[in-house]
Order: sequence, then C-alpha cells, then structure tokens
Amino acid sequence: MFEAMTSSPFFGLALTLICWWLAVRFQKKTGQLIFNPVLVTSVLVIAILLIFHIPLERYNTGADVIKMLLGPATAALALNIYRQRAILKQHFWPVVLGCLVGSLASILCVRLLCRVLQADGVLLNSLLPKSVTTAIAVSIAEGTGGLSGLTAAAVIITGVEGAILAPVFAKLFHITDPVAEGIAIGATSHAVGTSKAMEIGELQGAMSSIALCVCGIITSVIAGFFAV
Amino acid sequence: MNLIFELGILFLICMAGEGIATLLPIMIPASVISLILLLILLLSGVLKERQIRQSAVFLTENMGILFIPAAVGTLEYLDVLKAQAIPFLLITVVSTPIVYFITAWSVQLLMKLFNRKKVQHHV
Repeated sequence: MFEAMTSSPFFGLALTLICWWLAVRFQKKTGQLIFNPVLVTSVLVIAILLIFHIPLERYNTGADVIKMLLGPATAALALNIYRQRAILKQHFWPVVLGCLVGSLASILCVRLLCRVLQADGVLLNSLLPKSVTTAIAVSIAEGTGGLSGLTAAAVIITGVEGAILAPVFAKLFHITDPVAEGIAIGATSHAVGTSKAMEIGELQGAMSSIALCVCGIITSVIAGFFAV
Repeated sequence: MNLIFELGILFLICMAGEGIATLLPIMIPASVISLILLLILLLSGVLKERQIRQSAVFLTENMGILFIPAAVGTLEYLDVLKAQAIPFLLITVVSTPIVYFITAWSVQLLMKLFNRKKVQHHV
C-alpha cells in the first residue's frame, strides 16, 4: 500500500504543498530571511524521502506537475515589467545598461572563480546563471548542460545572501542612489533580494523587480556563449 | 476575467514560446521568449492587463513553490555536490558582493551622467 501511495502523483504534490505551507508559516513566525521557504521546504522534502527510503523518481511523478508551471510563471513576470513601464521609461538606459553590466559581471565572475578554483565544466555551467531568478536560471542550466538542482541551490543561496547583506553592501560601497541600489539588488539576488528591496524603499523595490526580469532576459541570451 | 480562460491564454503564449524557441539561431529558454511575447502583447494593447492579471499574480506570488522540484533534484547529484562542495559554496558566496559592487557603481555613474545631460538640455 505504501508503494502504491508514494508512486501516485498525489504523493509528490501533497508533500510539496504541505511542506511549503509549513515553511512559509515558519518564516513568517521567525521573520528570518535565512529560513527561506524554498530552502526549508527542500530540506524537509529531502529529509522525508531519505528517512522513508522513497526513490526520487516517485517524488518526481507529482513534482513534474508543479515543475510544469514554471514556464507560465516565468512568462507571467512580464506583468511586473508592464506595471513598472512608466518608471522603466524614466530610467531606461541606466536600467538596461546596468543590467547588461550586472549580467556580464556575474557570468565573468563565475567563470574566473571557476578557473582559479579549477572547478569542472558541469559545475561552471550550473553556476553561470546563479544571479537570475530560479525559473530562468534552471532553464538556462538545462540548456547548457548544467545540473539544474545545483543551479537552484546556488540561486537560492545567492538570493538569501544578497537579501540579508543588501543594506551592508550599500553602506560599504557608498551606494546612495536609490535607482542604483535597486538595480544592483535585483541584478545580484533576483526575487529574494527584491522582497528585501521593497522593505528598503518603494523605488528600490520597483527597480529591483524590473532588474530581475531584465537580467533574466539578458543572461538567458548571453549565458550560452560562456558555457563550456 | 475567468481564471480558466486566463490560464488558457497563458498556456497558449507558452506554447507559442516553445515553437519560437526552436526557430531561433541562439538558445534562449522558451519561458523567456514567452515572457517577451506576453510583454509585447501587453504593451501593444492586444492583451489587456485584466485579461491575465489573476493568473499572473497567482503564479508570480507563489513562484517559490515551483522551484522545489529542482531543488529536491539536487538529491540525485549529492556525490557531485559533496566532491565539489567547497568550490560550489565559495564561487556562489564570493561572487555576490562583487556583482553587487560592479552593478551598483555602474548605475550610479550612469545616473549622474544622464542627470547631467538632462540639466544641460534644460539650459
């Protein structure tokens, strides 16, 4: 019976949805960015699979249904850009050029560090899109032969790090312009950072949410040229 | 708008994105092409915001849960991760402040440049 239950798609669906709900509540209660719901849910699900010796394939039967929605969700980000079109028009060149510089900086930085640390090609391809939102990063990694699981982990770590340290970075690097601060947060730490940027200020939040979309588009176009 | 209808439109756009992706000479994820497609439809007024609002807001607000399958998928590469844990973490953590610094300074310089230009125009 146990096998019949865990083999059905409802197992992966129920497990993911319930763990997610718990993780979101847990973060709300603690208020700590480090307890990122994606991080906490993943650890919970992995722990349950390991404890009950459930093979990943069985979980994936249900998880694939969830994963399928990633495409439409990415497309839906267009609404974010559309809603911010007035502010985007106002700062068009700083946004576009800033995001281009940010995307290139992230990719080149990963390539350089990979060479210094002599990391292998698979790791390089998995880490290249680490600064863009998970949905886009995962599809970039799948296209360049990276491991999408590693990419997702790197993206989440980057997001949490960027969100927690954003105020420290601004002080340390003397960033006083709210547009610059917002774009930098969005370009570095995508959606997780954007939630923090919204706390810092309205303009920072808007710029960050535009930057995460624009950087996602730019990175998806250029990442292929830097993969090995 | 009817949620079913909204999702239908969104899936239709994604379907078109998958098709266009195969035609392009460079590799761009189909989801990003769908994003651009939807943006064009909105900006050109072919599609109204209210025609996709409910489904788009639902999906983007709950986007986090959609990453769980990929993150749990790390389980399959646990040995790769173990072998490369140190470079993996180092590269991930070290590159973040560097990217922030480069981006923030570039934009800050650009803002000064563009604002100065604007002032000159007014004079």
